[in-house]
Amino acid sequence: MTWRGPAGIGVVILALGALPWVREAFDLPIFLLAFGTLVLSWTALATSWNILSGYSGYFSFGQGGFYGVGVYTTAVLTGRHDWNFLATVPLAGLLAAALGLVVGLIAFRLRALRGEVFALLTLAVPFIVAPIARLNPSIDGGQGITVPVPDIPEPLNGFQDLSYLLCLAIAGIAVVVAYVAQRSRLGWALFAIRDAEPVAEGLGVPTFRSKMVAIAITAFVAGMAGSVAAIQVGYVTVEGTFNLQVPLFVIVMSVLGGRLHWLGPAVGALVIVTLRDRLATSGFEGFSLIVLGGILVLFVLLAPEGLVPRMRRRLVPVLVAFVAVGAALWLTRLREDPVDWLAFGLLAAAVVAFLPGIRRRGAEAALEPVGPEVETDHDAAAAPPALADEGAPTTSPTDKPIVVVTDVTKDFGGLRALDGISLIVHPGELLGLVGPNGSGKTTLVNLLSGQFRPTSGTITVGGEDIGGLPPHRIAHVGVARTYQIPRPFASMTVRDNVAMAIMFGRSPTDLEAARAAAEEHLALVGLAELADALPGEINLHERQLLEMARALATRPRVLLLDEALAGLNPVEVDNAVGVVRRIRASGLAIVLVEHLLRVVNQLATRIVVLDQGRVLADGDPATVMADPEVVRAYLGRRPSGALPPAPATDGGAGA
Amino acid sequence: MIFVQSALTGVLVGGLYALMAIGLSLTWGMLRVINLAHFGLILLSGYLTYHLTTNAGVDPLLTVVATVPVMFVIGALIQWGFQHFKVSELSSLLVSFGLLIMGNQIISNVWSADFRRMTSDVNPYATGSLTLGPLVFPMPTLIASVAAAGLVLCIHYVLARTFVGRALRAFGEDPAIASAFGIDHERLGLLLAGAAGATAAVAGTLFALGGSLTPSTAFEWFGVVFAVVILGGIGNVLGTLLAGALVGGIAGVMTIAWSPVAAPVVVYGLVVLALVFRPNGLLPRRGGHG
Amino acid sequence: MLELRGVDVFYGEAQALFGLDLDVGDGEIVCIVGPNGAGKTTLVQAVAGMLPVRAGSVRIGDTDVAGRPAHRVCHSGVATVPEGRRIFPGMSVADNLALGAYRRDARSARDESLAWVHELFPRLRERAGQLAGSLSGGEQQMLAIGRALMARPRLLLMDEPSLGLAPVIVDGVFDVIGEINRSGVSVLLVEQNVERALEIASRGYVLSEGRISLAGTGPELLANEELRRTVLGIA
Repeated sequence: MTWRGPAGIGVVILALGALPWVREAFDLPIFLLAFGTLVLSWTALATSWNILSGYSGYFSFGQGGFYGVGVYTTAVLTGRHDWNFLATVPLAGLLAAALGLVVGLIAFRLRALRGEVFALLTLAVPFIVAPIARLNPSIDGGQGITVPVPDIPEPLNGFQDLSYLLCLAIAGIAVVVAYVAQRSRLGWALFAIRDAEPVAEGLGVPTFRSKMVAIAITAFVAGMAGSVAAIQVGYVTVEGTFNLQVPLFVIVMSVLGGRLHWLGPAVGALVIVTLRDRLATSGFEGFSLIVLGGILVLFVLLAPEGLVPRMRRRLVPVLVAFVAVGAALWLTRLREDPVDWLAFGLLAAAVVAFLPGIRRRGAEAALEPVGPEVETDHDAAAAPPALADEGAPTTSPTDKPIVVVTDVTKDFGGLRALDGISLIVHPGELLGLVGPNGSGKTTLVNLLSGQFRPTSGTITVGGEDIGGLPPHRIAHVGVARTYQIPRPFASMTVRDNVAMAIMFGRSPTDLEAARAAAEEHLALVGLAELADALPGEINLHERQLLEMARALATRPRVLLLDEALAGLNPVEVDNAVGVVRRIRASGLAIVLVEHLLRVVNQLATRIVVLDQGRVLADGDPATVMADPEVVRAYLGRRPSGALPPAPATDGGAGA
Repeated sequence: MIFVQSALTGVLVGGLYALMAIGLSLTWGMLRVINLAHFGLILLSGYLTYHLTTNAGVDPLLTVVATVPVMFVIGALIQWGFQHFKVSELSSLLVSFGLLIMGNQIISNVWSADFRRMTSDVNPYATGSLTLGPLVFPMPTLIASVAAAGLVLCIHYVLARTFVGRALRAFGEDPAIASAFGIDHERLGLLLAGAAGATAAVAGTLFALGGSLTPSTAFEWFGVVFAVVILGGIGNVLGTLLAGALVGGIAGVMTIAWSPVAAPVVVYGLVVLALVFRPNGLLPRRGGHG
Repeated sequence: MLELRGVDVFYGEAQALFGLDLDVGDGEIVCIVGPNGAGKTTLVQAVAGMLPVRAGSVRIGDTDVAGRPAHRVCHSGVATVPEGRRIFPGMSVADNLALGAYRRDARSARDESLAWVHELFPRLRERAGQLAGSLSGGEQQMLAIGRALMARPRLLLMDEPSLGLAPVIVDGVFDVIGEINRSGVSVLLVEQNVERALEIASRGYVLSEGRISLAGTGPELLANEELRRTVLGIA
């Protein structure tokens, strides 16, 4: 991450910070300061909200609760206990953050709390905090609190100046944090959580920790914003503080501006505040919420990415439109009010951003088919040195086993999916795991990768018992898997998908190094040309190769390929077979779960056949596939006796 | 004794909560949408009842003739929008929130933010009560609860015994196979959403019998209704009725024991506890529903 | 009864069936066998309308139903016994059966159909009030077949009815299939249990990687070595 970004933001903040004195010098209306203060305080609230809810997808209705804690901290301490106002600001943030962590502890520990249920849970926050404040006489007691006007420090000219600069400071903190977060490991973790949380966990992303940090940041900034709001309002009441205005506005502002970008909520705040102001001055105050609700509905349905991504794609036209329209109104004196210039400028910018005719960024990325002939020169190349050094040398199958499954059973309620399975995998082996439908293959893979725990029996990887380890720990032990239906991180490029695995893998690295290292894995599977494409732009086969590359990037000792060839045409299957061969050359153990038996026969050094949860055969392909038991399992059993006459029912106890 | 009184009154009020919750619960369970606008439909129905009774002299209970069709249509329209735009569960939450805000503002513009309550000269049910020994039950509460509970039981009957009800249940369990036997997803979805709107209409009318209306009342219902939905088990009709009684009773007692203001703390506390410990509802889970 | 010509079906963006041609004559039992992942279930779902057909025609009787959604396809007289049974677990046995007769033409004959189903599967009459989710595997299979019969189909689609069942129960299932066929219902049977299926069917097709690789009468296919190799994937 360069320092240009924060430096640029710093310049903007300093420029904005000069406003109080500029206003004084040019005798501009004080209204500008008030307007600016409003935009900045909503920017702070919306941007901080977005760090949790926009980046990670965990939609929170609780922002009002954190804000309220901040308001009351300052109100009580300055109004009842004569504290210095400025000292209460960070304290307000800390208390709000503490509340955030409590909420997070309850909500994030439980897997059952999916997105929309989390939203409802956070809705409870203001509804619980408000009555507590109301009932407790040392907090509010129902009377409200009068907040004294703080002393104004020397260089400032009045209360409005102080208010403005404080809001600027908090908004600045929020925006810088959002900017930094977006580009840091935290940001990448949050985006991965948003796209595919279970997959992220499997790659070693610390999901719980990331969400806790995010909610703490969100609450901290909201608390500070509330603290400043306390002195602006002057007389604080429970009803005035804890209502649905804060959660509603931050949601609309972020949805409108764009939830995946650090500047999105700020743009949204600017637009909404301008809009409300114009509606109020033209006498349409009563339509304000109707318009806001309408914007929320329209944008969620029709433009879920928001304004900022679209504006970025057409940055120059948008800026030109904004400046041109605003300036035109100013110069021609068609409108006197500066806020009108702003409003129409924004409108013009938004219209330009939404004009049809623009293609999505990256749509023109080269999408040439990845054919086998492209990669033949890689076949002979030695395995990349790094992989060989990582403790996965080319070994012969007689070496110490890497995976040992001992007498494992798995029950799902009354159903026994696996019944006393024992098997061993050696480094360098390519084990084909086959069996008819319902034989337990996928269950076994799920046990190996940590999705489920065995009901009894042990599974060790490299000597370490993995039963009971959470998926991200198992990833660090050296097990990687692909999914039958590829689940890439949809908002990240192909290269970044692979880089994620390296960033959070067994030896964490930073983004730039991870991106560089990702190239070698992409080359191995043949996706080098598509590195900048988004997963939505590549076909199924390529996405499966991406799954493999991403799994490889975690430097596993064992790779589980779960039906990695599902849905491919014969050409693609052959290509995939070539890729698997190349992967194998690097010396790790591969377990291949596959229906396409001809592929398994081509690739596997050993085949294990499962049938009804038990191991039916275990040995080299030729022997196993000729085994009469195996043949019977696949082709079916002979009838158990003469056919009884119709009408028949089942002759015995249930299956 | 005062606790018994408030508990029992609370249980009665819980019947009305159950009716408010049932539409939301069924659409959430079967259609996988969380429709916050449901609260707006209840509110609008309440205001319409107030309006027709106060300005046109209609008997409050008869206003359902007007409110039910209107809310049925609006409910079905919203569902049509959800189907047409193929919204996800989370998006449905956001979109319906936006619709709720819009509806709320419109109501506020039309009827102002003042408290609206049907006076006793137009509302024949406003006064009067039933006395059973030391216990007194106000008439509006009594009527509302009995009607609400009755309607919920009817819904249970319809789901359990009729052809359409059976189709709905099958659709809720396995939409793909249900359609293979002739059940039309989309039409059924519209029907269900419309029916949910109809229940909202009745709930609003019954609420107006004894309650005061202001635009923000809709938000006051969030807590109790979600507590009832989750405690009762999403999509579980009888569970919702029981949960309504439970939540109502607890809220009633808390109002006296602690403070009227404290009710949301308790209710939302219940929601949190329910989500954490029994996300499938208080009653044991029947095979495969959800 | 059933005629597929040039049918292409996609599962997401992966093509699962390639230009399939298939026939089931009036009153026949035709079976589809093949390795796993070949597209057998996809085929059944496409005929039933549960998966969209991207190209080609699917004629049931004389109506082309390709492209119609499932709830309209069933009106042509098709009923499905899905893979894994997929009965409605939270509903009673009686309700499951009643649901089978949802389509208009079946509703009027409901009582008659129910009597026949009870005759074929007395166990279902005994368990009428029980929750379907609590039945054993074999009983659930009976229920799934019974539910399909309640729809009074001309064509019955059966997807792996023997899956996960003990051999003795499988016997019973295949006997019932025979009985149903004798009453005039055509059957398209997808099966893993190749030998049982080919014994009962008049004709069969071998589906491999989305295409028909072999076709013939039951006895012909049973004797065919190539069939063995295709299913076992031996080159």
